[in-house]
Amino acid sequence: MIFACAPMLRAQSGQTQAPAKQPPETSATTATPLSHDLSGVWMQYPDKRVDGVPIVTGIDESARPPLTPWGQSRFDAAVPFIGPRAAAGKENNPSLRCEPEAVPKSLILPNPFEIVQTPGRVFMFFEEFHLWREIWTDGRPLPKSPNPSYLGYSVGKWEGDTFVVDTIGFNDRPWVDSFGNPRSEQMHLTERYRRLDKDTLEMQILMNDPKAYQGVWTNAPRLFKLEPGWELGEFFCVLDEEDDYASRVRKPAGGAAAAPNP
Amino acid sequence: MKNSVYPLNSCATTVRGAAVWLAVILVLAPRAFAQTSAPAAKPSNTTPGALSHDLSGVWMPYSIHMDGIDEKARPPLTPWGQAKFDVAAPLVGPRAVAGKENNPALHCEPEAVPKSLVLPNPFEIIQIPGRMFMFFEQYHLWRTIWSDGRALPKDPDPSFLGYSVGKWEGETYVVDTIGFNDKPWVDSYGNPRSEQMHLTERYRRLDHDTLEMQIIMDDPKAYTKTWVNPPQRFKLEPTWEIGEFFCIPDEEDAYGDAVRKPAGVPVAPK
Repeated sequence: MIFACAPMLRAQSGQTQAPAKQPPETSATTATPLSHDLSGVWMQYPDKRVDGVPIVTGIDESARPPLTPWGQSRFDAAVPFIGPRAAAGKENNPSLRCEPEAVPKSLILPNPFEIVQTPGRVFMFFEEFHLWREIWTDGRPLPKSPNPSYLGYSVGKWEGDTFVVDTIGFNDRPWVDSFGNPRSEQMHLTERYRRLDKDTLEMQILMNDPKAYQGVWTNAPRLFKLEPGWELGEFFCVLDEEDDYASRVRKPAGGAAAAPNP
Repeated sequence: MKNSVYPLNSCATTVRGAAVWLAVILVLAPRAFAQTSAPAAKPSNTTPGALSHDLSGVWMPYSIHMDGIDEKARPPLTPWGQAKFDVAAPLVGPRAVAGKENNPALHCEPEAVPKSLVLPNPFEIIQIPGRMFMFFEQYHLWRTIWSDGRALPKDPDPSFLGYSVGKWEGETYVVDTIGFNDKPWVDSYGNPRSEQMHLTERYRRLDHDTLEMQIIMDDPKAYTKTWVNPPQRFKLEPTWEIGEFFCIPDEEDAYGDAVRKPAGVPVAPK
């Protein structure tokens, strides 16, 4: 299952992460204010409900608002590979054909991501499928009429202790989670980050997509642990390998014959 | 080519013929969005006459002919290299047969380096203490070059991008990469790389607007000598932002079915 792949990390013993620390303010060693430095390699804490297993609950289906008719038709057509609607051999998540999942899905993977801050920009690098994104922090507004894209266009700014990222300009191709919940071109994604202490990053995902959902989908914050000795491993999505895995494992695991158009 | 968006397929549906495969593949308009507020390059070395140690910016090749890897300069292939070359069916050049192409990049396997260094789309360099990043518009690829003085790893696992370290030698930034797998081609013609390849890139910022890059490949498993290429120049594009340009396998397949295969002669039975 590609979303539970072990991270291919090269933890360099005795070799610390190359320092990328140019925080505009002091770090969390000072008394009260939280650090404005989010840089580092971050790994999701396991959910306490299932001991030791990283559960990707940064997007919580139980908190999902009702779907619109458009959203419902998308959801109905989606065949996930996990959960109650899974049908082995019939999965049609486009990520299984190496289409980018982009955000918010990449924010809740069991693999780590890395944040790098530069003047005017914050970069995020996701180990799973070697994805990168940029968040413009130079004060520019969101674009008026962006072309739809997988990653959208992101701007970020600090509101006190919280780094708020706003993204619009999405296309409607990826799922927002593993269960087939859709996103439309109208989605406005908000992420809220706080560095609670040196080793802990809090992230919250909010999705406002009136074409797909009746109401804002507000998720509970999730915690990430700093991994100072880690470097992201290389982990590309390679289609031949996905197809091979599907033909060897997923489809034979299913009871029904494979759908003609997986 | 600012503010232009050319979906990959729509470029090609207006042309036909074997000669235009080159144009179709090479003249992919970069999806660069002109913005007025781009991070300014601040040369870190302001001594008159000295070249800047700041390579940051969005860089666009001067020539679309991608001569940063020069097949005329290629050394002879080893038997292993020749075997790989012989089974490669490119989509450009004298060995191209439309409909039979088997470049793994055509189903979105990463081309990695050095191929991504000689694309007609721009790349962006970002420098932070201890690290350099390169972001390639084509296929949304990124790579890290460690510049904190660390050595190359002793026994790296093979990967598409390898493991890169960089350092300044006077005015030249030298990047060394090892730890490659042997999956991608190094160019569009089917020339191979093996796990033994040691890739060297040499960068110089000749002036504020010009970056020079030279590619040197030392792969004794594939080539009988080091493949030294002529330097290639890039122009700074201070108002550009890298556009989003993912490789989508289903779109590549559809393009193959709609354009490449019909353009070719009937495939002979194997």
